[in-house]
Amino acid sequence: MIYALIAFGYNLTFSTSKTINFSLGNILMLGGVVGFSLYVDKASGALLGIPFIVPIIGVLVAGVVTGAAVHKFAVEPSLKLKSEYTWVLATLAVGIIIKNAVEQIWDTGDFRFPSPLGDDPLRIAGVGIYPAEILVVIVALLIVVGVELFKRKTVFGKAIQAVSEDKETASLMGIPQQFVIQLSFMMSATIATVAGLLVAPLTFVSASMGTALGIKAYAVGIIGGLESGWGLLFGGLLLGIMEGLTAKYISSGYKEMPGFLLLIIIILIKPTGLFGKKTIKKV
Amino acid sequence: MKTQSITRALGIAFLTAIVATACTKKSNDIKVGVYGPFTGGSAPMGVSMRNGVQLAVDEINAGGGVLGKKIVMVDRDDEAKNERGGQIMQELLDKEEVVAVLGPINTGVANASTNYPNKKKVPQIINVSAGAKVNDYFKEVQDNYIFRIAANDPIQAKSVVAEMMKRGYKKPALLCDDTNFGQSGRHNLELALEAVSIKPVYIGKFKIKDTDMTAQLQEAKAAKADVMLVWGIGPELAAVSNSMDRIGWNVDRIGSWTLAMSNYIVNAGKNGNGTTMPQTFIELSASSPRQQKFVADYRKKYNENPMQSAVSAAQGYDSMYLLKMAIEQAGSTEGPKVKAALEDLQQAYDGVTGSYTKPFSTTDHEAVKEANVRMGMIKDGAVVEATAVKK
Repeated sequence: MIYALIAFGYNLTFSTSKTINFSLGNILMLGGVVGFSLYVDKASGALLGIPFIVPIIGVLVAGVVTGAAVHKFAVEPSLKLKSEYTWVLATLAVGIIIKNAVEQIWDTGDFRFPSPLGDDPLRIAGVGIYPAEILVVIVALLIVVGVELFKRKTVFGKAIQAVSEDKETASLMGIPQQFVIQLSFMMSATIATVAGLLVAPLTFVSASMGTALGIKAYAVGIIGGLESGWGLLFGGLLLGIMEGLTAKYISSGYKEMPGFLLLIIIILIKPTGLFGKKTIKKV
Repeated sequence: MKTQSITRALGIAFLTAIVATACTKKSNDIKVGVYGPFTGGSAPMGVSMRNGVQLAVDEINAGGGVLGKKIVMVDRDDEAKNERGGQIMQELLDKEEVVAVLGPINTGVANASTNYPNKKKVPQIINVSAGAKVNDYFKEVQDNYIFRIAANDPIQAKSVVAEMMKRGYKKPALLCDDTNFGQSGRHNLELALEAVSIKPVYIGKFKIKDTDMTAQLQEAKAAKADVMLVWGIGPELAAVSNSMDRIGWNVDRIGSWTLAMSNYIVNAGKNGNGTTMPQTFIELSASSPRQQKFVADYRKKYNENPMQSAVSAAQGYDSMYLLKMAIEQAGSTEGPKVKAALEDLQQAYDGVTGSYTKPFSTTDHEAVKEANVRMGMIKDGAVVEATAVKK
């Protein structure tokens, strides 16, 4: 589910500006770290006694700010350059900068994030499920449904769709194209930081927590189709289940393999993803 | 343009000044190289070890130094990366020209770097790494300059298996990380189990940074294991304990000494209670005046309570003192002489991790024997003597 959520962040910027923010994995990590710093004392692992709403707000703010910053400093200049793929390197670079900055300023270790819902697993038919895991599913669904509704029902959402259909025409119709793209970056980064706060209690908080997640979410984007919200949900679930089954029946050492095998197969057979629409790119 | 050339000239002058001071310093100081992971998952061990060495260096310098010279510690972060170990070692030996090397922590790092001191004839005392080659070098080289003051993997594995037998378990499951350290531990555990003719019912592994071990644990549970023998470093071992809680399976965990690392204790929280591991030093049961002074000084100087990795700190501290005694006895900092002195220390050393009378010989470079090892246990966020608590 968390893969789907980050992939959904990729989807947002891709649909407006045909760019992907490759630093999303590390923005997720930033969300985890910001939430952790506002909620837990690093040295002892004890709670700071701050209500959980503070880290939530902190994480939302961090998301909006980094999203805007990534757009301003990495994507906008490279789109202006007329070079087709500068933004790939630029956003990757931002990701590395964020990671190194966190390692320098914060810490390089791994820390446990006590879940506000409690760390005792619920027992359902002998299998333990953490409350935080259920929360991930709920929040992910809410965000996907919310954003889809936002895109379909509100003026801003329609503007986003218009820009993703045809940028030039949308500008001619009086839609502030740059602002819409910026908005989509802020939303996508905020989704990533929220995702970071959601996974933090399930994994450890560390500067490297986002790297693998970001790559896997990108794989989910390709598998499910970057244009389709529901495709991403499906792709995320598929990858997660495949990893779990491989770890159980083959070996945990190979658990990442089937997902990436599937990725290669999909690229070969249906490059737009399982749920993707065929698009014709005018040259 | 003019300003630029002035800046450049100033820069060069500055650099020359630094080099000049560095060169003049060399003759007055005794440089000791220290390397270990000061960042990342192994950092609690690396930082504690460095702090332990620093504490000893400060004490020695305050008491007049060695051979009338001050000791200077040259420390480098190897980030627990094997290839960094080799680079750092060459830098320490060739550029810094240290007289001896202390460290490192990680088995892979050690094995990628310890051949250089042997070639250069500079003694190295490994003060944490349990799996690194030490006595094995006798088969390869004539003069072995590698020493160790730490419980090595065979000793630890034997202690772990002995503890398991004491508790009457017959069906162990092994779960070790896939690094050189974890796999050396697995190998030695298997050997130790073979010696008591027990076969593990399950052998699994995990990767560094894995946070979910449920798949492996369910296998172990299905194999009807009655005890988990684990080998790895703090964060992943904590993930093992947390995942056991998740699948609602509670058997005793016994494993590598790294279970006493702060990042195991904090990250596992209440799930860490009862974990048992071999230790050479337990902070809370410091009894001799020397141990108590060490704990008090360390806490005061580094403002840590409890220490992040008390064993690493204590072994780091002791390794520096053994080196000091050897240099004094040799009356020189020349590698071969210091090595000969280490192999034949005249004075006994009453250290933090134990009392050592002739800790090394020409055929045995391991200072820590089975008798030095005691079992520690996690209880409410601290390491206590395992015998002190009833199961």
